[in-house]
Amino acid sequence: MSLSLRFANRHLSACSLALRKGSIVSRTWPAWLGILLLSVTWTFAEQRFPPPDFESGHQLPVTTTPPARALTLEYLDVAVLAGCLGLASWMVYRRRSRTGLVALSIFSLLYFGFWRKGCVCAIGSLQNVSLALCDRGYAVPLSVIAFFVLPLVLALFAGRTFCAGVCPHGALQDLVLLKPVKVPAWLEQALSVLPFIYLGAGVLFAATGSAFIICQYDPFVPIFRLSGRTLMVLSGAALLMLGMFVGRPYCRFLCPYGALLKLGAIVAKWRVRVTPDYCTQCRLCETSCPFGAMREPQASPAGAQALTRDRRRLALLLALAPVLLVGGAWLGSAFSAPASRLHPTVSLADQLASAQGTAPKFGALSPDDLALERARQTPREILTEAVAIQRKFATGGWIFGAWVGLVIGSKLISLSVRRQRTDYEPDRGGCFACARCFEFCPNELVRRGLMPAAVPIASSAASPQLPGRS
Amino acid sequence: MVTAPQTEAALTPRQGGPDTASLACRLTAWVAGVFAVLVGLNLWVGHVGAKADDPLKSPQLKAYKEQLRLSPADKQLKQSIRQLDLELRQRYFRQLSQTGLGVYLLLGSAAVFVLAITQGARLRKRVPMPGPKADDPEQSVRSAARARWSVAGSGAAIGVLLFILSLGWGTALPKQTAELEKLLGPNDRAGAGGLNAAGQAQASDAATPEELRQNWPRFRGADGSGVSIFTNVPTSWDMKTGAGLAWKVPAPARGFGSPIVWGERVFFSGGDALKCEVLCLDGNTGQTLWRQPVAGGPNGPTQADVPDSTGYAASTVATDGRRVYALFANGDCAAFTLEGKPVWSKSFGALSNPYGHATSLATWRDRLIVQLDQGDGEDGKSKLYALDGRTGQIIWQRPRKTGATWATPISIEEGGRSQVITLAAPLVIAYSADDGSELWRADCMNGEITPSPVFAGGLLFVASPSEKLMAIRPDGQGDVTKTHQVWAVEDNVPDVTSPTSNSDLLFMLTTSGMLTCLDAKDGKKQWDHDFEIEFHASPNLAGNRLYLFSQNGTAVVVEAARQFRELFRTEMGDALHASPAFARDRIFLRGVTNVWCVGAAAREKIAGKQ
Repeated sequence: MSLSLRFANRHLSACSLALRKGSIVSRTWPAWLGILLLSVTWTFAEQRFPPPDFESGHQLPVTTTPPARALTLEYLDVAVLAGCLGLASWMVYRRRSRTGLVALSIFSLLYFGFWRKGCVCAIGSLQNVSLALCDRGYAVPLSVIAFFVLPLVLALFAGRTFCAGVCPHGALQDLVLLKPVKVPAWLEQALSVLPFIYLGAGVLFAATGSAFIICQYDPFVPIFRLSGRTLMVLSGAALLMLGMFVGRPYCRFLCPYGALLKLGAIVAKWRVRVTPDYCTQCRLCETSCPFGAMREPQASPAGAQALTRDRRRLALLLALAPVLLVGGAWLGSAFSAPASRLHPTVSLADQLASAQGTAPKFGALSPDDLALERARQTPREILTEAVAIQRKFATGGWIFGAWVGLVIGSKLISLSVRRQRTDYEPDRGGCFACARCFEFCPNELVRRGLMPAAVPIASSAASPQLPGRS
Repeated sequence: MVTAPQTEAALTPRQGGPDTASLACRLTAWVAGVFAVLVGLNLWVGHVGAKADDPLKSPQLKAYKEQLRLSPADKQLKQSIRQLDLELRQRYFRQLSQTGLGVYLLLGSAAVFVLAITQGARLRKRVPMPGPKADDPEQSVRSAARARWSVAGSGAAIGVLLFILSLGWGTALPKQTAELEKLLGPNDRAGAGGLNAAGQAQASDAATPEELRQNWPRFRGADGSGVSIFTNVPTSWDMKTGAGLAWKVPAPARGFGSPIVWGERVFFSGGDALKCEVLCLDGNTGQTLWRQPVAGGPNGPTQADVPDSTGYAASTVATDGRRVYALFANGDCAAFTLEGKPVWSKSFGALSNPYGHATSLATWRDRLIVQLDQGDGEDGKSKLYALDGRTGQIIWQRPRKTGATWATPISIEEGGRSQVITLAAPLVIAYSADDGSELWRADCMNGEITPSPVFAGGLLFVASPSEKLMAIRPDGQGDVTKTHQVWAVEDNVPDVTSPTSNSDLLFMLTTSGMLTCLDAKDGKKQWDHDFEIEFHASPNLAGNRLYLFSQNGTAVVVEAARQFRELFRTEMGDALHASPAFARDRIFLRGVTNVWCVGAAAREKIAGKQ
C-alpha cells in the first residue's frame, strides 16, 4: 500500500484506540478524518510519478487526443460522390467527352484515393452493409450505405458510369493504361466469373463478422496511403504494371462491386453507344475498346441443324444448372468449417480444443500462446461463441456454394444463347463507359465538327483503294 | 453515309511537328521511368535496412540495459545508453523522413512517366485500318464453345480448390452444443469453466499433510496460520557477534514476497519490469542453488503498470512438495521442479490492482490455488482458479463479484469438506477445493482486505481491516452472515498483518505496532501492548513464543501467554516487510538488503531429504 494511505490508516487506528468502542462518534469521525486525509493524499498521488527534470529545459508536450472526423465531412463525401456520378453520366451520355472523363478520373483519384485514402469506398462498403444485415449489433453509418447504394442505383439507369470516372481504383488503372493488349476471349470469359466468386466470399466473411477481406486485400489502398504491408504494396505495383498492358485488370477480373454493377448495367435503362447516330458498319471501332467489351454484329444461325444443336445445348445447360447449384452448395457447406477459422474467435477456440491434453509450454510465450492462455480462462464463453459462429458459417457456406454454382451455370447458359446484333456495340455489363470508343466513330467526329457530314460516294471505280482493302 | 477514305483523311495525324514532341515525350518518359525505378530500389533497400535500426529492437541497447540493471549506479553506462538511444532514434526518424520523401518522388516520377507515355502515344496515334474479314459464320460458334469450356474449366478449378480446402483444413471444434459439454468436462458444472484436463485421472503426486507440516510450503506456513510446529526455534541471537545467526547473504533479487522452505531449500521470487525470476537458496549456507527467469511474453515479463511500493514479486511462492509455483504482479505464473527445471508457465494478463497484486499462492494436494481479485468487483475481472500443478491447466475457475484484495486464501479440512477460504470486500467465501462450488459465504468484510484468514481451534478468524475481527464457524452452508459468527472485536484490528493463533490465544498486530492478545474462544482481550514501531510482517508463533519483525528491522520475541512479557529484542539493521519462514530450528527472513537465516550454523544434511 502507498505510504500516504498507510499514514492515513495508522492515524485511523490510533484514533480508534483512544476512544471506547460502542460510541458512534468514535466510529464515524475517524472515517471523516480519513476522507479528509485521503483528499489530501490524492494530490500526493498525482506527483507520485512526476515527469523527469530535463536539464536542457525541454518541455514535455501535452497529450492530446485528435478529434473524430466531423459528421458533416462524411456527408460532404457523399455529396461529392453524388456530384461525380452525375457528372460522369453527363459526360458519357450528353457530352460524350473522353477528355471530361479523364479530368473527372483525375479528380476522383485525388479526392477519393489520395485525399480520403481509399476509405470509405463503394467496393468495401458492400461488406459493411452485409455485416449490418446479419448482425443487429453492428451500426453502419448512413454515409457508407450511400456509398454502397448510389452507384448501384445509377447503374440501373446509366450503366457503369461509376467505373467510368468516379472509382479511384478504376481511375488509377485507366490512367496508367499505355499499350493495351487484347486478352483472348476464352480467357476473358473464364476470368470473368472471378469477381462474382470474390463477391460471394467477401459477403460470406463480412456477414459472419470474420474479416473484411476485400479491404484487407485491396491492392491499391496502400498506394493511396503511401504505406502498407509489403505484400500488398508489391501486389498493387504489380497490378499497375500489368494494367499498363491489360486494361483495368482489377476491375475486369477481381472487383466484387463491379460484379454488382455489371448486373445492374445489364438491365440499365440507358446504354452506352459507340455512335451517336447510327452504325455504318465501318469496323473502325472494332479494336477501340482496350477492355474487350466491344461486340460485333452477330447473325442468327444459318440453318435448322445449327438451331437444333443450340437448343439442345441450352436445354442441357438449363438442366445442369440445378445440379451445379446443389453441387456448389454441398461444396460450400464442406468449405464452411475451414472457412470459419478465419474468424478470430473460432480460430482461438480451435486452438483451445486442440491444445487440450498437450504438454505444457514454458518460457516466453508467443502472442498466439498468450491469446490461448487468455482463452483458457473463459473456455465456455469462447467455445459457445465459436460453435454459434460455425453454425452461421454452415448456413453461409451453403448459400455461398449455391451462389458459385449459380454463377457458373448462368455464365454457361449466357454463352449458349445466341444474340442477334446488327451494330457494333459495347457489351452492356462489361462496358466501363470510358468513352474511348467514341472518337473512333466517324459519326461522332461529325457530331464534334471534326469532320464534314457524309457525301454519297460515286461508282466504286472512282474510289481510291486503301491498302489492305479489297 | 461516311466512307472510309474520308474518315482516313480526317483522322490522319499531322506530320512534322509532332515528331519532335513525340521524341521529347519519349525522352521524358525514359528519364522519369529510370528515376522511378531508382527511387523504388532505394526505397526497397531502405525498407530492408530500417528493420535493423529499430530503436525498440536494438540488441545492443537491450544488452546495455541488462548491464544497467545489474550495475544501476554506473554513470558511464547510463551515458552510453543515452548516446546509443539518441543515435538509433535519429537514424530511425531520418529513415522515416527519407522514405516519406522517396514515396512522393516515386509517385511524382511515375505520374510524369505515365503522362509522357500517354502524350507520346497520342501524338503517334494512327487511324485503325481493319483488315479484311474472313467470311466465317462458324467463327462465333467456335469462339462461344471455347468460352464455355474455359468457364467450365474455371468452375471446375474453383470446385477442386474448395474441395481441397475442405479436406485439408479441418477443425477440432464440436458442431453441436452437446459435444461442447463433453469437451468442457464434468468440472465445468454450473459453468465453473475448465477443459476436461487429462491430468485429473492420474493420482495426486503432492506431499502428504504431514510432510507439509514439517516444512513451510506457502505464505505463513502449511495452513497459513503462521504457526510453526517446531519448538526448538531460536529465542535469541547476537547481531554483534553473529552468534545464533547461521548465515546472511545479500538479497539476490528485489521483492516483498516471503520466503518458503522445503527440506533444506529456501525459495522466493524477485524481479522488476525487466526480469522476473524464482530463486532457490541452500538453507544451510545461503548459497544460490538456482535462479530461473519467468517471462510471460516473447520479449520478457508481461509489461504492466505495477507500483514500485509493491513491486512485481510481492506474492509469496508456494510448493506442494514436488513443484514450486510463483506468481508475479504482471500476471505471469510459472512452475519449476524443486531442482529448478521448468515445468510450465502461463500468463493471466496484466492484473488490475491499484496497489499492485500481492495475494500469495496456495496449494491443495497437487493443485495450485490462484486468487486473482481485481478491479472494483463490477467489472467481472476477479476470479479464483484451481490449476493442475503438473500441467498448469485450469481444473476449475470461479468468477467472483469482489474487488481487488491482498489477502491470501487458505485451504482447510473441516467436517469432511476440503474448503478454500477467500477474503475480499464484502464477502468471506468458502469454495469446495474439489470442484470449486461455493459452500458458504458471509457478508461481513469492508475496506481494503489485506490480512489473510487464519483457521485454528475449529474457528476461522477473519479481519476486516481496522474495523472488526471476527471468528466464524466454517461448517455452514449458503449465507451464514447472521448465523455462524461466534464473536467479533473492534479494537486494534490489524490493517495489513494477518493474525495468528495457537487455538487457545489469538494475537493480532496493527501496522502502528499495537499487539493485542485475545482469547481465541470468546474474543476477550487478555492484554495489549504498543511497540510504537511499524510492522508489515505478520506475527508468527513457535512453541510458546511470538515472533515479530518490524519495518525498520527490529526483531522482538514475546511470550505467547495471557500476560505480556517481552523475551528478546534486537536490531537486524535491515528493513523487514516480508513475513518470516520457520523450518525446524531456523528462521528465514527476507529483508530489503539481505536474506537471513537465524539458527545454528550449517548442519549435516538429513539423510534422504533435501
